[in-house]
Amino acid sequence: MDPFVFHSPTKITFGQGVAATASELIKELGSQRIILITDKQLLKTDLVDSLITGWQAGSDIVIFSEVLPDANLTGVDQAARIAKQEKCDGIIALGGGSVIDTAKVVNIILTLGGNALDHQGMHNLSSRLLPSLAIPTTAGTGAEVSLVAMVRDDKEGKKLLFGSKFLAMDEALLDPELIITLPPRLTAATGMDAVTHCIEALVVEGTSSPLTNTLALSALNMLLKFLLKAKKDGNDIEARSQTLVASTMAGMSFSSCGVGIVHALSHAIGGQFGTHHGMTNAVLLPHGMRFNLSFATNRYAEIARYLQLSNSDKDEVAAKILIESIENLINSLGLPQNLRGLPVPDLKPEQLRGLVDLASSDPAMIFNTRQASPQDIIEIYRNAY
Amino acid sequence: MAAFKTTEELNQVMLALWDAIKADKGMGPQLLQSRISISFYYREPESRLTIDCRDGQQMIVIVGDTTFKPVVEMYMKGDLAHDFWLGKVNIPLALISGKIAAKGPVNKALALLPVIKPAFGLYPSIYQSKIFRNTI
Repeated sequence: MDPFVFHSPTKITFGQGVAATASELIKELGSQRIILITDKQLLKTDLVDSLITGWQAGSDIVIFSEVLPDANLTGVDQAARIAKQEKCDGIIALGGGSVIDTAKVVNIILTLGGNALDHQGMHNLSSRLLPSLAIPTTAGTGAEVSLVAMVRDDKEGKKLLFGSKFLAMDEALLDPELIITLPPRLTAATGMDAVTHCIEALVVEGTSSPLTNTLALSALNMLLKFLLKAKKDGNDIEARSQTLVASTMAGMSFSSCGVGIVHALSHAIGGQFGTHHGMTNAVLLPHGMRFNLSFATNRYAEIARYLQLSNSDKDEVAAKILIESIENLINSLGLPQNLRGLPVPDLKPEQLRGLVDLASSDPAMIFNTRQASPQDIIEIYRNAY
Repeated sequence: MAAFKTTEELNQVMLALWDAIKADKGMGPQLLQSRISISFYYREPESRLTIDCRDGQQMIVIVGDTTFKPVVEMYMKGDLAHDFWLGKVNIPLALISGKIAAKGPVNKALALLPVIKPAFGLYPSIYQSKIFRNTI
C-alpha cells in the first residue's frame, strides 16, 4: 500500500432539527459573541428565521447576510470588518459553499489579522482559528468538512485558494430539514458538485487511500440512488438526508486526496465568468472523464461494477458505461449540457489562452491522473462548448 | 543522514543548482518569461533562497535574508528539498500533508513545476560536486 495522509478533524452531527443546537455548541467551544454568516435568500425563509430567533434567545449574535452566490473578497472584507467592530469571537456559517468559504476566510482575518490576500496559500496559517461551526443548506460542496476555501478575486477574475488544517470547521451540523427548500435546479447542480468530488477523488494520482476511496465510493452510490429523487421531490427527507451526508463524505474524501482536471477547468471558467460551480462541474465532468479514460480505465471500471452499472469483465466496456451513466444522470437532472448553456460567451482566442493559463496552473491539476498540455485543455473546452 | 549538515552546504548546492538553471537554454528563458518572484524558506538547516525574475530580463538569485518581498513563499525541510530535486518527492502528497507549505498564489509556483523538471537531471552531479558524501 502506498503512503497516505487522512485528516478530517470536524465533528459531524446529523439529524432533523440538529441546527437548533448551533448556538449552544459554539458557546461550549468558548465563544461569547458570534457572527452568523449567511445569505439574504435564506434569511427570508420562515425556517431560518425561527432558527435564528431561537439562537438569539440564548446567545449574542451579529448577522452578516451579504454573501453572494459566488464567494468573493468584497463579501469577506465586509464580514470581517463587521466581525471586528462587533468584537465577535466565534463564527456560525449557515448556507452553501460560498457562505462557508466566506466564513472560513473571515475567521482567518479575525484570528490572525491582515487582509485575505495576506493569507492565501497552503498550510501557511500559524495557529488555530476562532471556534467555528457550519450548517450546510446545500448538499454538494463538502465545505463544512474541507480544509480549503476558494474565494473569487473579482478584480483579477480568478479564484484564490486558502488551505490549512486550521480551516476545518470545529463542528458541522447536517440538518436535512434545512435542505428541503433548496430549489430543484440548485439541488441538481450542487449534487453534481458532490458527484464530481467522488469521481475525481477516486482517480487522483499519489494521494488516494482506502479511506478516501471508501468514502468516495459510498458517497457516489448514495448520490446516484438519491440525487434524482431529491430533485424531483424536495420534501423527500430520506433523499435529502442521503445526499446531504453523501456530500459531506465526498468532502472528507477529497480533502485528503485532492480533486482533478474537472475542478481545475471549472475554477478557471468560474473565476472568469462567475458561473455556478456545480453546474460548471457537471458540464465538464464527462469531458474530464473521457480525457482521463486511458489512464483510469480500470478504476472507472471498478466504480461501474461496484455501483452495479455494469457487470462486464472488460474494463474498457465497464469504464465507458460509467461515463455514459454520468451523462444520463446530468440529462435526467435537466442541467446544462455545455458551456454555452451556463452561460459562457463565445471565447475569443486571448480569452481561451487566459483560461488555459488559469486551468493549467490550478492546484487541482497537480492531482489529476493524466497530465494535460495547453492543447489538451483547449480541446476539452472546445468539446464542452 | 541529513542531506545538508549546515546552512552553508545547503546554500552552496542551491546556488550552484540555480546558476545551472539560469544558464540552461530551456529553463532560464521560461522562468524569465513567467516573471515569478519566489522565496524558498528551508529548515533543518535553516536558510532562505530567493529567485527574482520580475523584470523578465535577468534572473537574480539571493541567498539568505533579504528585504525583498516575493509573490510566492515556499516552506520545506532541507531533506525534502534535496529529495525534490532528485525527483523523489510525491508532490501531491507533500502538498496535502503539509510537508510543503506555500504562502501566496500557489498556482504560480505549481505552474513552474514542468519548467524546472529538467533540473532533476542536473542536481545529482551538482550535489556531489559540492557535498563530499555518498548520500544519493
